[in-house]
Amino acid sequence: MQADTGETRCRYDPRCDRSAIAISDKAVSVHVTATGTVRIMESKLSSKALAELTTAAQTLTNPEVEKWRDQGGRVVGYFCSSFPEEVVTAAGMLPFRIRATGSRSTELSDSYLSSINCSFPRHAFNVALSGGYGFLDGLAMLNSCDNIRRIYDHWKRQVDTRFVHIMSLPRKAEPAQVSWFRDELTNFRGLLEQHYGVDITDERLREAVKLHNEARSLLRRLYELRKADHPPISGAESLAVTVASTAMPKKRFVELLRGLLGDLDSAEGIKDYRARLMVVGGILDDPEYVKVIEDQGGIVVTDSLCFGSRLFWKDVDEHADDPLEALARYYVAERPSCPRVFGEYENRINYIWKMMEEFKVDGVILERLAFCDLWGFEQYSISNDFKDSGKPLLMLDREYTLSGVGQLRTRVQAFLETIAR
Amino acid sequence: MDPKDEQRLARVFEEIATYGLYEEALTASPGELGHIHLPLVRNVLRQHRETVRCVEEGIPYAASYFTDAPEIFTAMDLHWYHLIAQSFGGGGENIHMMDDLEGVDKLAVANDVCTLLRLALYYLDAGVLPMPTVLVALNEPCDGVIGLHEALRRHKEWRHLPVFTPDPPYFSDDRSIEYFADELKRMVEFLTKHTGKTLDTGRLREVVEETNKQYALWVEYDELRRSVPCPHGYKLAMAPFSLVQTAGAGDPEHTQWYSDLVADAEMRIQQNRPEVPNQKIRLLWFDVQPIWFDSLAPWLEAEWGAIVVLCMFGYAPYTQIDTSTEDSMFSGLAKRNLIDPPMVRQARGVADNFLSDIARIVKDYSIDVVVWPGHMGHKDGAASVSLMREACRDLGVAFLTIGVDQFDNRYTTIDQMKDRMSQFFTAMGLG
Repeated sequence: MQADTGETRCRYDPRCDRSAIAISDKAVSVHVTATGTVRIMESKLSSKALAELTTAAQTLTNPEVEKWRDQGGRVVGYFCSSFPEEVVTAAGMLPFRIRATGSRSTELSDSYLSSINCSFPRHAFNVALSGGYGFLDGLAMLNSCDNIRRIYDHWKRQVDTRFVHIMSLPRKAEPAQVSWFRDELTNFRGLLEQHYGVDITDERLREAVKLHNEARSLLRRLYELRKADHPPISGAESLAVTVASTAMPKKRFVELLRGLLGDLDSAEGIKDYRARLMVVGGILDDPEYVKVIEDQGGIVVTDSLCFGSRLFWKDVDEHADDPLEALARYYVAERPSCPRVFGEYENRINYIWKMMEEFKVDGVILERLAFCDLWGFEQYSISNDFKDSGKPLLMLDREYTLSGVGQLRTRVQAFLETIAR
Repeated sequence: MDPKDEQRLARVFEEIATYGLYEEALTASPGELGHIHLPLVRNVLRQHRETVRCVEEGIPYAASYFTDAPEIFTAMDLHWYHLIAQSFGGGGENIHMMDDLEGVDKLAVANDVCTLLRLALYYLDAGVLPMPTVLVALNEPCDGVIGLHEALRRHKEWRHLPVFTPDPPYFSDDRSIEYFADELKRMVEFLTKHTGKTLDTGRLREVVEETNKQYALWVEYDELRRSVPCPHGYKLAMAPFSLVQTAGAGDPEHTQWYSDLVADAEMRIQQNRPEVPNQKIRLLWFDVQPIWFDSLAPWLEAEWGAIVVLCMFGYAPYTQIDTSTEDSMFSGLAKRNLIDPPMVRQARGVADNFLSDIARIVKDYSIDVVVWPGHMGHKDGAASVSLMREACRDLGVAFLTIGVDQFDNRYTTIDQMKDRMSQFFTAMGLG
């Protein structure tokens, strides 16, 4: 398997077939086809920053992670957008959100997870079993959902990662739950300090919060640009940026994002679209999925995704006396929630309504990974509310890896026919 | 009665009529086990009639679950009905099931989501769930349960209802128990606020002392089921659950039922006269008994001498609650409703919870085959199958997983299940 832009093999495990791509000033997108060849696509934007961010989103062992490792830095993997990255940053380590980008099969993980499990953890664990996460020094998890939480049980038995920990994230968003999670974070901080011999002071936590908030603030600026009638960046490119935010040192991400925002100042806006779309759902880390939608003539201008706006729409309180309490409050009660949090549906639907209004959205695509029970029931309530409001909604079930593209195209085309301007 | 309320109670009225017939039949010809089955039937009737009375007289009542500490409801004199009981037809056959499943298929909920939970949503959609005063929902043991209750809470019919749900932590240590105990205290505050009912500590003590006796007898009964041959068949494996973990928990009349159950089992062991003769294979059915179990379990007994010694809902790991103070009772109730109860005990937390129960049950009950039915809704369980299989291999016991829908036998038909199980028993040299 060779790419024509200078592919290198994964350095951490010879069994791993994921690759790193050399950077040009064009954003690239890497796709492993069924025959094992790599297809490269270019963005219309000329931005080296976007190219680097896209590479980070579409490979696992991107150059920034490799640089970090080469400098002796440690990397801690995590699974869910509710994971408090700041604690890992404060420990001087790199929080890296687990994906299965480039995964083609689940032949190894099928021995552990079943065909009625969501395909994301099946692919992610397959990557882990094939050595793709050999660069992790630790794994910290939450009991995110039924499918992902079992990865903890298998990972600690099957993968040689020295530090594997799971935290109990509440399923309600009230003061007692914030207090519980604060204690979880205290415990987590202690375990990291003990295991890695680091000191996670309140001061370091505050610095980490500030840094992560800076990234959030810049991402909101990026989204602000997408409100324009002619957005300077596509939905697929934007998703690559937000995914990259979870896959490299935050300082570097902030530098690159500043660079990108500068480049976008002079970018020509996208004019040739038929409708402004919003994508809603759970784990979607593949910009190509969004690109297929956009190739049909829509432009995705915003989202409610856990690799998208829900990551950064609100900030952690930087001025709280107790930074751990501020983090607990943020991750339990303040950030936009996903359906795992009970009693928050009204906030979630209002978030969608507000986004639709602010970004002048014509229609919403609700995507769900098959076998996800949380989004399964959320679909029911969302579809009822859309029906009542007369707003256009397209509901799609999908697998983690891009498949059924023909059907996806057809359904999006039909949807656009009904809503196009 | 308001016509809408009448429609909401239609299934309850039907079940009252059906169970009334069972009661008459069992009274007229009780047979050997009539004195055991009759109180179970009467309990269903009593609960249903109480629901009707609440509606007719405007008395506050709740929709809730067994893991929401039923003793508290009894002590508060607050009636409740089990939200998903409808699917089970009160413990018997739901004659509407095929129509209901067709209704479920039309809901905008993906068909890979647990059918039981989709059924509960369908019942609300179809207007056949009694309208409670409050909803005490559930956040465990699986994502589907949370999703269902969020959808029920948002449903137009129930949007106005006050809702509370105790939040379950992922762990099972003392900190988790105290956290859950505090959640139960908040539940009491909620119930008082919205129903006007209050909790008297002395009354709670009475109720818990009664359920302590009942749980102790259940534990004793389970010990008797360790006998080879097992004294009773599959029906009574799950029956003890239904009197202590439903509305009316702590009713002193139920204590007599547990005593009678123990006495009957003892008698059968002493006389070597089990309910099911010619037992050859001892099964652990590691899940709830499916609604179609009456089409499979008798065949297993007759064809293979395979007896369900224990099912997940029949396992009694319960401990006694210290009734000395209010706090000790809440801590005990937290443990009883977070750590001990079936399905929540295993599926709420880490996979080791499945494995430790399998190890314990296989040894204590001389199990030959662990059956994980593989219900399509149990995603966390599906992701634990390899660990269960490995645990069984280590224990030297056979492990079978089938792949079923416990609430829709179109998914895997009874004949397919029979074939699968026969092939397995043959291959393992059992029976």
